[in-house]
Amino acid sequence: MARPCAVVGIGQTDYRRRLEVSLEGLVRWAALEALEDAGLTFADIDAVVIGKAPDLLEGVMMPELSLADALGAVGKPIHRVHTAGSVGAATAISGVTMVESGRYDRVLVVCYEKQSEGNATWALSGGKSGGQGAGGTFAPWIRSYIKRSGAPEHIGWQVAVKDRRNALRNPHAHLRIPDISVEKVKESPMLWEPLHFLESCPSSDGAAAVVLASEDLARRGPAKPAWVIAHAKRSEYASFPGRDPVRPRAGVDCAEALYRKAGITDPLRQIDCAELYVPFSWYEPMWLEGHLLTAPGEGWKLTDSGATELGGSFPVNPSGGVLSSNPIGASGLVRCLEAARQVRGTAGEHQVEGARVALGHAYGGAAQYFAMWLVGSELRPAFA
Amino acid sequence: MSHDFRPVAVVATALTPAYASFAGPEAALVMTCVNELLETTGLRREEVEFTIAGSCDYLGGTPFSFVMNLEGVGAWPPVYESHVEMDGAWALFEAWLRLQCGDVDTALVVGSGRASAGRQREVFALQTDPYTMTPLGTDPVSLAGIQARALLDSGRATEADFAAAAARALPGASVEELLKADYWCDPLRAHDVAAPADGAAALILAAGDRVRELPGTPVWITGMDHRIESHHLGLRDLTSSPSAARAARGAGVHEGPVDVAELMVVHSPEEVVLRAALGLDEAVPVNPSGGPLAGNPVMATGLARVVEVARRIAAGDARRGLAHASSGPCLQQNLVAVLEGEH
Amino acid sequence: MPQPGLPPMRTVLEYPYTRTTGPVIGAFLTGIRDGRLLGGRIGAQVRCPPLEYDPGTGAPADLDPVEVGPCGTVSSWTWVREPTASHPFRHPFAFALIVPDGASTGFLHAVDAGGPERMSTGMRVTIRFKEQRAGAVTDFWFVPEEDGAEPAPPVEGGEPVTLTEQPLSLTYTEPYHPHRVRFLTGLLEGVVTGQRSPVTGKVYVPGRGYDHLERTLMTEEHDVVVADRGTVSSFTEITPVRYHGQKETEPYIRASILLDGSDSPITGVDIRTIPLAEFRVGLRLRAVWKPEGERDISAFDNRSTGGWEGVIDRWEPTGEPDADTRALEEHAF
Repeated sequence: MARPCAVVGIGQTDYRRRLEVSLEGLVRWAALEALEDAGLTFADIDAVVIGKAPDLLEGVMMPELSLADALGAVGKPIHRVHTAGSVGAATAISGVTMVESGRYDRVLVVCYEKQSEGNATWALSGGKSGGQGAGGTFAPWIRSYIKRSGAPEHIGWQVAVKDRRNALRNPHAHLRIPDISVEKVKESPMLWEPLHFLESCPSSDGAAAVVLASEDLARRGPAKPAWVIAHAKRSEYASFPGRDPVRPRAGVDCAEALYRKAGITDPLRQIDCAELYVPFSWYEPMWLEGHLLTAPGEGWKLTDSGATELGGSFPVNPSGGVLSSNPIGASGLVRCLEAARQVRGTAGEHQVEGARVALGHAYGGAAQYFAMWLVGSELRPAFA
Repeated sequence: MSHDFRPVAVVATALTPAYASFAGPEAALVMTCVNELLETTGLRREEVEFTIAGSCDYLGGTPFSFVMNLEGVGAWPPVYESHVEMDGAWALFEAWLRLQCGDVDTALVVGSGRASAGRQREVFALQTDPYTMTPLGTDPVSLAGIQARALLDSGRATEADFAAAAARALPGASVEELLKADYWCDPLRAHDVAAPADGAAALILAAGDRVRELPGTPVWITGMDHRIESHHLGLRDLTSSPSAARAARGAGVHEGPVDVAELMVVHSPEEVVLRAALGLDEAVPVNPSGGPLAGNPVMATGLARVVEVARRIAAGDARRGLAHASSGPCLQQNLVAVLEGEH
Repeated sequence: MPQPGLPPMRTVLEYPYTRTTGPVIGAFLTGIRDGRLLGGRIGAQVRCPPLEYDPGTGAPADLDPVEVGPCGTVSSWTWVREPTASHPFRHPFAFALIVPDGASTGFLHAVDAGGPERMSTGMRVTIRFKEQRAGAVTDFWFVPEEDGAEPAPPVEGGEPVTLTEQPLSLTYTEPYHPHRVRFLTGLLEGVVTGQRSPVTGKVYVPGRGYDHLERTLMTEEHDVVVADRGTVSSFTEITPVRYHGQKETEPYIRASILLDGSDSPITGVDIRTIPLAEFRVGLRLRAVWKPEGERDISAFDNRSTGGWEGVIDRWEPTGEPDADTRALEEHAF
């Protein structure tokens, strides 16, 4: 059976434009910090797994090859995951599989994006004029959600403000807008009706890394482990007659599988906080519903109540989330490692008091790829 | 180490021809393979518990090419699925690890590519060091030429050795005739280089009781490993492949005789390097399928080696075989799988 | 495979990437810009180009610069008889591993030797710098030592190189897929062709050559012509962001339209003549085709989206009552 696996080291760069480092320097920053946190060096690592979004973003094809030396992978296995926006979380899960399989004791997971080398909208449009961008894809679904749920328009603005306020507590965050306010959000330019500029994620550079270890090694390490309680992935087609893109079944199935594996029956109560992949403000209530944290139509009410704020009953994105930092290929791993920081009690200024179980999540493509993990301060927490 | 692992078997394989230019989308190549596997095993798509594919955006120049491929892979109802931007052989590696975890008993593995649209020498220059190599257009054929020269200079190979490897892929060709051809990237001739093609390979893995429940002859994967070495050519001895040797040890190649080997020889001199690194003496038949020089469906070429070995073992033509896949300039990264029939 | 009537589609993927170099490669490229070759000492070894880390362990290594070259020794080489568009020369040349004098290990670069008979392992080469240098590996190459002149003394005092430009241009050429040829030929004739699934009867527009829900390949016999009128199932107003190759400057609408007789909307439809305030899901539209001789399918590729504006001049409201929007939710793509 699968061996237990824990996060024993965490590293991340700041997510502003990183003009002072090379690609190697960027990934090494995060990798070395994660190793230091775990009290290890590259020599202690059995295998490396890297993830990032399309190679066209930086124009470097199969970067595991040119980064192998920089990541201390010479003589070792190095594996490269690409599952669109969900890739950061998918890469973490591939790393967990490596440990759970019994084959590797310590795995280094590194994800990155250096958006400043290229241009994401160019890359996403395959180099053609008139690209609609990710926001152009998601905006119609957001409008459908608003119509279906009857959510008032201020919900999106409120999420945008909340995540940017949280970001002020996170020194790694890219966007820092001290005077962020609902007025400021709704007066920012409309990019894709109903999404304003300040309801959208930035283009960031950055790398994130975790060291995963088997149970024995995790218990012996210097740092408090975050145990991987469960993980799940689901994918569906981008489009087909009968698809519900607002509440994709793959997202529902993924959450169901995750909670079932963890023994969770009442996720909103039994999970203490979540780092959800929210690149556009409305995706907070959409994923609260789409991942069974609330009933359909109830997600925006939870947001509206203030429960998802830091200090609320179910904080979402205490780090500031994707809305504050979006190094695309790393963003999912950042969600996963921020969840781990919460249950280790090392989240600093954005620590959720007493967090024991936390959810890390990412989605990608046309809201069709989902990857989630649950981490805990204990390996097998008892859920009441 | 390989003995500690849960037995996992290849229970069905599918392989398209290597098309010079396939008239249709990559997803159709994938769908053809997956449908064949489902028919062979009698499995419904949703019964396959884990799916993983390998493909590459830059081959066709479109970001997220795997999203379109998913339509061939099959994802409705939603599937538990992943993707590597690597040859399908690495997808197989992750699937094999996933089955080791014990809670999943079946996996679908796919590798696919449509290389015909791009000028792949220019495309693959993008996988070299972005600061010091890519700007020079350092293409895989030129780099293989440098590796070939190093082999000749070291005395470990002759041009006739290269031609002999190429001749096996070209029915009717003789070494003597091939050596009369003009150089292309000296000391390589055009026939020493596999032409990038379009195609797909796929297989189904099973473990536990599922192996016996499914029809067909199981072929066991008794070991698998992959390793990488330095990207900096100046730091490497190009006449040897320590990463392939290490992967072979990790996969347990030397724990028994090898009856057949399918090696990802995309440039004929690589056969010389790999035979030595993998410990395959002259008696071991290498690439009886013709190998990549006869058909190189990029991103499926490595997984196709596994398919070829599994088919020979399932047919009773071999008992224990080695499949090899490679990635990167001058065999930078190497994967080795050991497959065995019933004992 | 010949595709009668339609030339192959050609895509140029072109982007000027900018790479920040970090301190170590930056110092190397600064040296190149100034006319000198720099290595970096790590332990007992001098690596050229220098590395940010010890390649054996991955441990960080601060740059300990060592000037190497300008001459060096070829440790292996190949003669490139057919240079690609990405190579530094249009004429045949050598790629070689070159160990510069004073360095422990070599690196790959080009040697402009004239012919393969002038190349050999162990030969001596010398660096030749371009006169105009930006700080890139393309600012120099090597020549056989006997062809080399004494290099000019390095230029001193410039700002360090921190950024290197890397223009990428890749050309892809492929025939249109057979189902795509039939669809595009139809557009040139003023009809929209889809494919009807033999299993479910659902009509996909354009056809993809398969029904992915039923895992069935589809061929010419599954082609059906659908109406050139339909219902808006989804739309986005896009405020264009600037990027390389972007031609749009003003906001525009991209709509999905469910054509009558089909079960999947056409997507990426460019709407310029209907004001945003009047545009809505459920709106009934009809295509106004461009005159036959003016239809251009070159913006269509082998994928499903975009290009409609090349064949359809505009979409006009039909004046019919709006369609039921609830039934359109599943087509919101």
